[in-house]
Amino acid sequence: MCGIVGYAGRNQAASILVDSLKRLEYRGYDSAGISLFNGELATHKTVGKIADLEAIIPDDLDACIGIGHTRWATHGKPETRNSHPHVSGNVSVVHNGIIENYMMLKEELIEKGYEFKSDTDTEVIAHLLHQKMYASDKSIDLLTSMRETIECLEGSYAIAALCTDESEKIIFARKDSPLVIGVGEDGNYAASDVTALLKYTKDILYINDNETGTVSPDEIRVFGQDGNLIKKDIETVEWDIEAAEKAGYDHFMLKEIHEQPTSIQNTFAGKLLELEGNIKLDELYLSKEQIKYLRRATIIACGTSWNAGILGKYLFEKLAGIHTDIETASEFRYGNPVLCGEELTIAITQSGETADTLAAVRSSMSYGCKTIAITNVVGSTIARECDSVLYTRAGPEIGVAATKTFTAQLITLYMLAIHLGRSRNFISPDDAKKLIIGLKKLPGQVQKILNRKETIKECADIFADRRDYFFIGRYLNYPVALESALKLKEISYIHAEGYAAGELKHGPLALLTKDTPVVAIATKGHTYDKILSNIKEVKARDATVIAVADEDDTEIEKYADVVLRIPSSHELIAPVLSSVTLQLLAYYTALARDCSIDKPRNLAKSVTVE
Amino acid sequence: MKAVILAAGEGKRCRPLTATRSKVMLPVANKPILEHVITALAKNDIKDIILVVGYEKERIMNHFEDGIRFGVNINYVEQKAQIGTAHAILQTRELIEPDGEDFLVLNGDNIVGTEAISSLIKKANGNATILVCKKEDAIGYGVIVSEGKYVKEIVEKPETVVSNLVNTGTYLLNSIIFKVIERTPISSMGEYAITDTLQIMIENGMDIVMAITRSEWLDAAHSWDLLKANPILLAQNTEEKLQNGTIEEGAIVKGNVSVGQNTTIRSGSYVVGPVIIGDNCDIGPNAVILPSTSIANNVSISSFTQVQNSIIMQDVRINTHSSISSSIIGSNVDIGSNFISEEKEDLRIEIDDTLHHADKLGTIIGDDTVIGANVVVKAGVMISNNCKVNSGNKVHETIPENSTII
Repeated sequence: MCGIVGYAGRNQAASILVDSLKRLEYRGYDSAGISLFNGELATHKTVGKIADLEAIIPDDLDACIGIGHTRWATHGKPETRNSHPHVSGNVSVVHNGIIENYMMLKEELIEKGYEFKSDTDTEVIAHLLHQKMYASDKSIDLLTSMRETIECLEGSYAIAALCTDESEKIIFARKDSPLVIGVGEDGNYAASDVTALLKYTKDILYINDNETGTVSPDEIRVFGQDGNLIKKDIETVEWDIEAAEKAGYDHFMLKEIHEQPTSIQNTFAGKLLELEGNIKLDELYLSKEQIKYLRRATIIACGTSWNAGILGKYLFEKLAGIHTDIETASEFRYGNPVLCGEELTIAITQSGETADTLAAVRSSMSYGCKTIAITNVVGSTIARECDSVLYTRAGPEIGVAATKTFTAQLITLYMLAIHLGRSRNFISPDDAKKLIIGLKKLPGQVQKILNRKETIKECADIFADRRDYFFIGRYLNYPVALESALKLKEISYIHAEGYAAGELKHGPLALLTKDTPVVAIATKGHTYDKILSNIKEVKARDATVIAVADEDDTEIEKYADVVLRIPSSHELIAPVLSSVTLQLLAYYTALARDCSIDKPRNLAKSVTVE
Repeated sequence: MKAVILAAGEGKRCRPLTATRSKVMLPVANKPILEHVITALAKNDIKDIILVVGYEKERIMNHFEDGIRFGVNINYVEQKAQIGTAHAILQTRELIEPDGEDFLVLNGDNIVGTEAISSLIKKANGNATILVCKKEDAIGYGVIVSEGKYVKEIVEKPETVVSNLVNTGTYLLNSIIFKVIERTPISSMGEYAITDTLQIMIENGMDIVMAITRSEWLDAAHSWDLLKANPILLAQNTEEKLQNGTIEEGAIVKGNVSVGQNTTIRSGSYVVGPVIIGDNCDIGPNAVILPSTSIANNVSISSFTQVQNSIIMQDVRINTHSSISSSIIGSNVDIGSNFISEEKEDLRIEIDDTLHHADKLGTIIGDDTVIGANVVVKAGVMISNNCKVNSGNKVHETIPENSTII
């Protein structure tokens, strides 16, 4: 998904375009750019978020007309040369959609002498527009040339274009990709959706498929497929900006928690080979030989990704028999790592830009380690630098507290561990198959948790006024305890600690009082009996115990004060379900405390400083 | 023109399927009923849509988001208590009244065709226009008594035949209605019904007009009615796409079949359209999928299993040697080997102590249910949500929620 914007009016275009693009960031944010016209055409573009674009745009721009774009690559790399706008001579174009026949058009244009600077499909639109306008003797205007251009295009598009010879207007066209025009007092606007414009105007013209037109400071003209002028009624939009982006949800975090049945499916789509009992990971550039002789793996990550990494460590050891270390990136790089060539380094970062993780990976590369990146952002820095990239494919995440990207990281780690395990013949096809079935069942089981979220809300409300919270788990549930404590503290500001349950008696037990809720993750598995005795330890100090347990566990209610149930699943996969349950607990706790859930104080989504 | 779609109710008569989603989200041809309604509006160039949501609203919001994927703009309004259609419409007052324009009201749980909407708009007249549909057997529906094109009386579910003009619950209204809604009393059913509001308008001498449609209008009164709508909409599915998935050599696919991304139809399987199969499914080897079957995303159907005239929701696994026909399987259901759903015509099905008629039915299974091996379900018997049926059982009476059948 990408987003486009355009402005023609009397105010400074650059700041309006940048601001509108920020509103479209939920449509993607791996690269961005704008083209402005002020006597001449100036194009600024870069890989990164809109803030990065903002940083490279000079301050003293007086241009009052321009177009802009924000990109979320699903195929191909985000590089500056691939980001929009694309320029052909004096024509500049932004585009959202896919041009299916671009290869054929590209060949024709190359024959005609056009030089291509990018790998994108969009560049053919820029060259086509230029060619239609100037190649023949007849001189035609930009709008006519746009009409002739779209006749050559197959696929979907919302296009906005600028040309220096008709510098007072933006030309647009649409088919199967969204496009709206905003009518303002100090100028007119174009955008992929209304949210981008709400700050400036609520008067909107909706553009339909096969319509083209022009936007100038004082006039908007829309033409039908037949070339006749269409009279459009202005419609007034009533929604506020935030609500529009969140599609009815109160918070992005809640929206993203609810997206998990879909995002989990997207993460494993096309990779699970149930019948074969294997995982298809074509993007892993490691030969069977290399996998067989791997001696050690090091997982490097920060924050939530580090918590996912601990689960990764247990999985690689259990399923693939590879000794695995888990390192905090900011510590690893300043320590004295002992690494060698037959080792694997796995870097986990949602944004792919986490500064400490990047630095740590670079240092491990210098030892000759093979590197794998697990990231959500296609073509991010880490993806470009590592030998192999596994994309988590969770889609853009706006809420600062990671939810769907965390579960996507877990799913990716399961798949990698199973793949390595099968390649090393460490687990049997049948054991792998059981896990694969477990993964396939996850979307439905997560939905089941969401269906029953009321119980979790009730529990959150009871304990929302507490000062401290403890989370305990053993083995695979230990990372869940850490992640759930992190979730709770970052959005509800309650002091929360995650511990390996066996560690309680080595100190933390001293902190427990009757007012401290202790969340015990007690799903069925070989540590179940152990965690039961930890629960008893806690109960003996009068603390309240909230247990997360399997739905058919009838034993647990004897010990715990509140039981949050998860669907019964494969022992190794239950952490995903416990995590979702505790994401909801954190959300509802923060809600009861009236906290700023999507933008907690002092925190940023992607930490690009060291 | 704006359109208000009523999507707040649960649809109790469609339980167990509506225990976890509202009736508007029940799938027909792999799309929620509500999506068919929105598509019909978009085709009529009505793109400003207000969804009145309530029961299980997250499911609706997750699917439709801001509407951009469907070519419309969606605004959500919450009706906190489901106390009638008039009350639901009143929730949208602030978004509608300032325009002073006419607006459409539709039920999110009835499938209404593109032509039906355009004929309502064309024939609109007076203070309100009601879209009616001629039905031979109008028992069980609200009907219209008319004089020419004018509506004289709206009769809710009469026990004797007074008219064969069925009220589709689709209206074109103007904002006067909000003032009349304020005066509408609560009905004996404990609801504020828009039909009562319209009746008040008639009694006060306002003109209420009807527009008759012959094109389709499908009401899923009971869950098994989805099985009647499914073949009709499958036949209209023109997106015949096979290239998204993988059809292995030796698998045969005939007729109007569409297959989603990352779906594999394995060797030896036989698929006869109209059939729609979603993304990430694994069919076969040697599975048989017969006409009028919809299979949603992430479904696995193992070897030697046959499915016909059925709706399989997402995240379902059906093991080997099973036979499923004229049935609806809810999401996240796991069915063991040798499962058989018997099928029968002309059934009387008991729900809440009253008998309901079904033309034809196998079984209906609610979400999250797990069924062991060698289970046989008698025709017309339903298994509710979150049940566990252990191996070897013969199910001959409806199983309530959260039960375990040993």
